[in-house]
Amino acid sequence: MPDTERSWLAEMESRSLAKQEAFINGIAAKLQRPRVLDKPAHPFRGAPDFWQTFEWPVTERIERFTENFRSAGGHVSRLPDLDAARSFIAGKAAEMEARHILRQDGPELEALNLEGCLPEPVRVAVWNREPGDNWKERAAEADFGVVYADYAAAYTGSITVLSDAGKGRSVSLLPTVLMAIVPVERLKTRLGEILGDFDRSGTGALPAGIHFISGPSRSADIENDLTIGVHGPGIVYALIIG
Amino acid sequence: MIDRGTTASTVKERAQLALNDDFLRKAVKFTTERLRNGKEAAAEQHGNWEEWRERGKQIRLHTIAYLDYYLNLFADNARANGVHVHFAETADEAVKITLAIAEHRGARSVVKSKSMVTEELHLNRALESIGVEAVETDLGEYIIQLAGETPSHIIIPAIHKNRYQIADLLSAEAGEILPPDTAILAGFVRRKLREKFLEADIGMTGCNFAIAETGSMVLFENEGNARMVTTVPKTQITLMGMERIIPSWADLEVMATLLPRSATGQKMTVYMSGITGPKRKHDADGPEEMHIIIVDNGRSLQLGDPEFQELLNCIRCGACLNACPVYRHIGGHAYGGTYSGPIGAVLTPALNGNVAEWDDIANASSLCGACYEACPVKIPLHEMLVYLRRRKVEAGRGSKAESLGMKGFAAVMGGARRYRTALKLAQLGQKLVVRDGGIRMKVGPLKGWSSYRVTPALADRSFRQRWDTLEQEIRSGLSEIDPTVQKRMEQKRQERGQEQGGHGHA
Repeated sequence: MPDTERSWLAEMESRSLAKQEAFINGIAAKLQRPRVLDKPAHPFRGAPDFWQTFEWPVTERIERFTENFRSAGGHVSRLPDLDAARSFIAGKAAEMEARHILRQDGPELEALNLEGCLPEPVRVAVWNREPGDNWKERAAEADFGVVYADYAAAYTGSITVLSDAGKGRSVSLLPTVLMAIVPVERLKTRLGEILGDFDRSGTGALPAGIHFISGPSRSADIENDLTIGVHGPGIVYALIIG
Repeated sequence: MIDRGTTASTVKERAQLALNDDFLRKAVKFTTERLRNGKEAAAEQHGNWEEWRERGKQIRLHTIAYLDYYLNLFADNARANGVHVHFAETADEAVKITLAIAEHRGARSVVKSKSMVTEELHLNRALESIGVEAVETDLGEYIIQLAGETPSHIIIPAIHKNRYQIADLLSAEAGEILPPDTAILAGFVRRKLREKFLEADIGMTGCNFAIAETGSMVLFENEGNARMVTTVPKTQITLMGMERIIPSWADLEVMATLLPRSATGQKMTVYMSGITGPKRKHDADGPEEMHIIIVDNGRSLQLGDPEFQELLNCIRCGACLNACPVYRHIGGHAYGGTYSGPIGAVLTPALNGNVAEWDDIANASSLCGACYEACPVKIPLHEMLVYLRRRKVEAGRGSKAESLGMKGFAAVMGGARRYRTALKLAQLGQKLVVRDGGIRMKVGPLKGWSSYRVTPALADRSFRQRWDTLEQEIRSGLSEIDPTVQKRMEQKRQERGQEQGGHGHA
């Protein structure tokens, strides 16, 4: 960034800080009381009490997740281990004639070793492995995006993916088909069990992107007619492992 | 407000346009009923809905009551995450900040995901005025942008267009004839907007919720375009109403439970994204630079106003539109502002701070309270509509014809002779316009009524005029009553008199 731009941003920053003071003071004045500087007691934080302890046993979590994800138009397969996941993905790649596969980086998907089992001409790229490549374009041309989920919630049928250097946000977004591997121990009952972790980790420790995905991209904007795959992946597989 | 696609100036005129458009009425009715039924089913299936509503209301009330604390915390945390935070008191300021960023980044194109705040600011026009292309990427928003119109529903913006109209619009854009097939039309938009996402310099979003304790912003959507907008371009600008705050991620669970179910009947939108700052140093996607512009634009006028402060609790789900019998008939454009339906009828005058100029939309409600019943955070919209009407009359902005009418009514009804005279004149006068026992003429004082209904004619002889005859009939009738019946009635009267000390109707 050129120096002129840097100084422009700095100037905007100092103007914003001054404005913040006036803006916040204005709110306190409208509320007709002095400004509140200490954290107020929040007796209604989070879900109602009866909800906080609600939990399904693992078999029911799997059933409900499957039911919810399918009713949103997604596919679910329960597989015993990563080997089965590898064969499943390879099988789908052959069936759909996938050419470009993009996967997240990370030890679990490294162990999955898709690269070793998919024959030419299928190309498996690993997100951000070589710096400088235009990874967004790699993601846009990919037929399959393969991710390893950080969490899942059965009650809403949602998969959660967190971003980092090896885990691009584009991998779960730009490819035509999304394959999400969900280890069963990461499958929770409620959204709240996942969201609580973000409160606990707090500012500074959160990833830039936290994405909950609950099925294929959809729209009903044309005459209420459901369309799948409008911008994001139109075909989404959740592979529950274990 | 020039992009509205209609230039009628009052709600009544705009509603007339809508009422005469059969397709609009059917489409709006069909969609809103589908959404409303979906919402009811989802609430029912989730269970304990009232307790969740109450919790949602309490969280919103608490946050707004301490808005100075939470907004300040949010701004500090967002800044710590590397976000450039800006404050804009007016629409004008917000637009200036946005344009300055666009200019400094040398932007040629902006991709936008659905945002009601940017509609409020008329940001697209401002961007185009400095030569920056602004592309709406939500399918419905893209369609109405091509049509040069504004959203008519907060959740389904192109509710008023049918697939043939949409095929025409998209064909013009494609340069070839596209058939009116939903899958083909959506496929065209997907391809077209893919290019736009990849070449855009700036991604622009609204904000469903902002989490004070971590400085994160949260977006709910189904299509994936908001994710595109916050992932692909180098610069992200988020415009956020200053009341969008919630304290924590734990509170987000309540909002995530209420919002999708109330909006569309979904357990969850396909995507819920929490964005915390620009891309990290080693990330290979996400914006390099992120701005959040916190917008007041009339919101603070509600703070400290006991009658309207709860308006700031709104989570923009659209459930009140779907529940409203008036919205279902006249559609969104009739309200004439950025926000339509019951929430728009209150929010538009409230944000503009000029109740008087928007006073007619407070009358576009039957005050039935369906909006309150539907609201996931229990905003008493129907009561606010009454407050608005009261303020309008207090401000001396009541309708002149209405107060003249009321005075005339008082004068005529104040004396029996005047009333008799008026009635006789009317009975004579109506002979000119009555056909088949009704008035169908669409001019004069009965026009508003007669356009869609038949005004019944006054009876040739009114009840009062017939009273003498009636009285005689009744009196002679009574004397002709069967003696045994008469006897039984007498007996009953006596019994009752003994039991209740003379009061026959306790």
